[in-house]
Amino acid sequence: MDWTLFQQLFVNGIITGSRYGALGVGFGLILGVTGRFHFAYSISYVVTAYAAIIAADHGVPLLPALVVGLAAGAVLAMLIEGFVYRPLQSSAPTMALLAIFISSLGLVIVGQNLIRLEWGSRSKLLDTGFTVEGLSIGESTFTSLDVVMVCVLWAVILGVWALIRFTQPGKMISAVRVNPEMARVVGIDSGRVYLAVFAIGSTVAGVVALLSAMKYAALPDMGGQPTFLAFVVAFLAGVGAGPLRAGLTGLVVGMAESLSGLWLSSQWSPVVVFSLLFLYVAVKPLSLGVTLPTIARRLRTAGAR
Amino acid sequence: MELHLSGQMLLLGIGEYHLDIFNQMLIFAILALSLNLLIGFGGQVSVAHSALAAAGGYGAGYLSAEYGVPYIPAALAGVGFAVLLGTAVSIPALRLSSDYVILLTLSLSTVFVTLLVSLPYFGGSYGLLGIEGVSVFGNEIIRPSEFVRILLPVLVVVFLFTWRLGQSPFGRLIKGIREDEIATRSLGKNIFMYKVALFAITSGIAGLGGVCLVYYSQLASPTQFSFDAVTTMIAMVIIGGMGNLWGSLLGAALVIVSRPFLEKQVNADPEQAFLLQLVIYGTALVAVMRLRPAGIIPEGASIKSGLIRLNRFVTRSGGPAAQTAAEAADAGLAALMARHAARPPSRPGASGEDISQVESAVEVTGLVKHFGGIRAVDGLDFRLAAGRITGLVGPNGAGKTTVFNLITGAIRPDAGVVRLNGVNITNMSPHGVARRGMVRSFQDVRTLPRLTVLQNVMLAVPGQPGENLGSLFFRFRHTARVEKEARDKAMETLRFVGMEGKLAFPAGALSYGEQKLVALARMLATGADVLLLDEPASGIDQSWLDPVLDVILQLREMGKTICIVEHNLHVVERLADWVYFMEAGSVTAQGTMKDLISQPRLAEVYFGNA
Repeated sequence: MDWTLFQQLFVNGIITGSRYGALGVGFGLILGVTGRFHFAYSISYVVTAYAAIIAADHGVPLLPALVVGLAAGAVLAMLIEGFVYRPLQSSAPTMALLAIFISSLGLVIVGQNLIRLEWGSRSKLLDTGFTVEGLSIGESTFTSLDVVMVCVLWAVILGVWALIRFTQPGKMISAVRVNPEMARVVGIDSGRVYLAVFAIGSTVAGVVALLSAMKYAALPDMGGQPTFLAFVVAFLAGVGAGPLRAGLTGLVVGMAESLSGLWLSSQWSPVVVFSLLFLYVAVKPLSLGVTLPTIARRLRTAGAR
Repeated sequence: MELHLSGQMLLLGIGEYHLDIFNQMLIFAILALSLNLLIGFGGQVSVAHSALAAAGGYGAGYLSAEYGVPYIPAALAGVGFAVLLGTAVSIPALRLSSDYVILLTLSLSTVFVTLLVSLPYFGGSYGLLGIEGVSVFGNEIIRPSEFVRILLPVLVVVFLFTWRLGQSPFGRLIKGIREDEIATRSLGKNIFMYKVALFAITSGIAGLGGVCLVYYSQLASPTQFSFDAVTTMIAMVIIGGMGNLWGSLLGAALVIVSRPFLEKQVNADPEQAFLLQLVIYGTALVAVMRLRPAGIIPEGASIKSGLIRLNRFVTRSGGPAAQTAAEAADAGLAALMARHAARPPSRPGASGEDISQVESAVEVTGLVKHFGGIRAVDGLDFRLAAGRITGLVGPNGAGKTTVFNLITGAIRPDAGVVRLNGVNITNMSPHGVARRGMVRSFQDVRTLPRLTVLQNVMLAVPGQPGENLGSLFFRFRHTARVEKEARDKAMETLRFVGMEGKLAFPAGALSYGEQKLVALARMLATGADVLLLDEPASGIDQSWLDPVLDVILQLREMGKTICIVEHNLHVVERLADWVYFMEAGSVTAQGTMKDLISQPRLAEVYFGNA
């Protein structure tokens, strides 16, 4: 085995894995609590990056611009939940999965192409606010932005974990996730909890989007790949899994994808993720899954509301 | 015919430009028809259709460009490759819920198109060039007006194929799966096999669409099969109308025509028009889902029903359909009441027979099922005497419904043996148990709401060659004859339960009591001898109670073995020849209802401490 290559791929694995983890945490929270197949996760992601870049272009200082971006993504997600998903759920609970997913597809197409029409298809870079330097440990190289990225992402993942674990709103979210009926009985307004979950989940995705816009650039279709990875990580972690588990699952997926470079050329790396997912789905019926009945129950009770 | 048609178009002054748009319409109509079969009829949401079309198109294109394979074998290979890919991906996903189908198909389309770009073999983002042209009798086909002569017949064949499938017993079955997998399975249908078959068929048609697209444009490029492409197909199906094949033709036409229309009317440049078009039908997707989920041409819409609706709209009368529904319901009830009055039900157990002398239809010994730490069923023994009604009563949570799930194979028991007519059926699949002659009803009826009453019952008839693709396409007359027999049988059972006045109503539009009768007719149509009824009397209107109970008693007279789980003890007393009392997962007492009621302890357990 090539030791030098291994070191570099290992470091790359930590960087991409942290991204995947955060994406999975955000989407997993939404899927686990609301049961909605929120494909428009991708559009919150793009809007966050673009809003921050446009604010910065208009002379807003970096930090407020980032906040503007995150807020735009979160508000958009809440609007989608309130004005698109919720009415669909209550008007046709039996076909809610299909209706929500298809509307979600429609929203992604609309959002992506409105951005293309308005700002063109060329990429836009977000300023980092500091000089990016090259660093190295042993034989591996990376940048100071990568270090910031990994630290910020894990801070966010731990933050979501702490929020759910220790705060009052977080406990309400857990209550709705674990037992929506009981939560209703004790007077928790699940509609508001859903909105909060959409806001939190999209903010987490938004942080990833901002970092990606700094490292690579923002593009109108930048949300596609991250959303796919968010879905994969959330399902691999198990629907309803907590943030730590989703984060670590993302790390494992990113690491597996990166380390596959030891044997495969990098163009095959998407196949690695797909194979992981495929294997998981193939062996899934063998283990007694607790995840799907949970979703089914959630959809039913949400419909009855 | 197509010659005539294209000739006519030229006469009308339609040039190559318009025919090009028409051809794109034809190709996308093929893709939309295939996707509609999957989403609209089968209820499976797949986002892999562009990847499957790419598999077909790139497969054929690669063989042609690299190895000079002629177009017919290359096209067939492309279609075959799409079928293989679609089947391979769907098999694991279809064993799980529809979330996983979305997840896996989404992953397939993301990964497959990424690979097409990144792998060195397929021309990267420019695409695959050098595909051999199509030629017929030595004449190379180049212009759109020539292609239309090939594409139009292909679309006609695909339409007839999908039409035949959709209207057949196979189509009825996959719609049943769409409506309720568990209910369809309980009627003896191997739903997994049908889902895979449907996925394979639609993958093949998608592959064919991809092949057409690649040969038509003489190019296989990633943009043709991008995520935008699959969203376009979904938009065509949703806007046109799910479950209606005409709708997909209309949807394909609308979506494709909108781009040149935008270019002309809005004076947008082609790039802008394309983006604008995506925005418009993205909005349309959201709007249709919200305002008219059935699409422009809803499922089951025909010219006739359209005229009726138009007529109603014009005359503004208060809904003739609703009136007839109420009238028909009254008629059905009246007929049942009349029969009930004419023939009062015989008293169960009146003969005072010794039930232990009657042979067993079903024997259950030592049945155990634990869920985590909860012992839902804990060493249960009971038997169903052939041709008698056996009751299963007990307090809530005693495990009665779990017993039905266990003995019909819906849940695997941890231990114990279930025998049906002496044969061990313990680990059989639910559809296997149903085919062997034991079927169940559900507490929450589970009729298939968007299928008509007649379709609900016809679906249950066993041994239909029309559910088999071979017979469906190669034994037309045999299939038609058996289909007629199935219809007769369904009518007969519907007459028996008094629902013959409602054949054409969607089952979901009926009252709860009526749905219970339809569910009963459905069980009868399976021809099973052992009927397990889960709360047949719960939740129905008092006026329907006597007719329903009467039907059950008549079933016993016909020699059926019946087991009822029921909370209403009066109902059990009227029906059951023998009653088992269940507590905490096992039988603690048995006898006639009269015996059991006279035991004060049981009454206390059942009704709680007074």
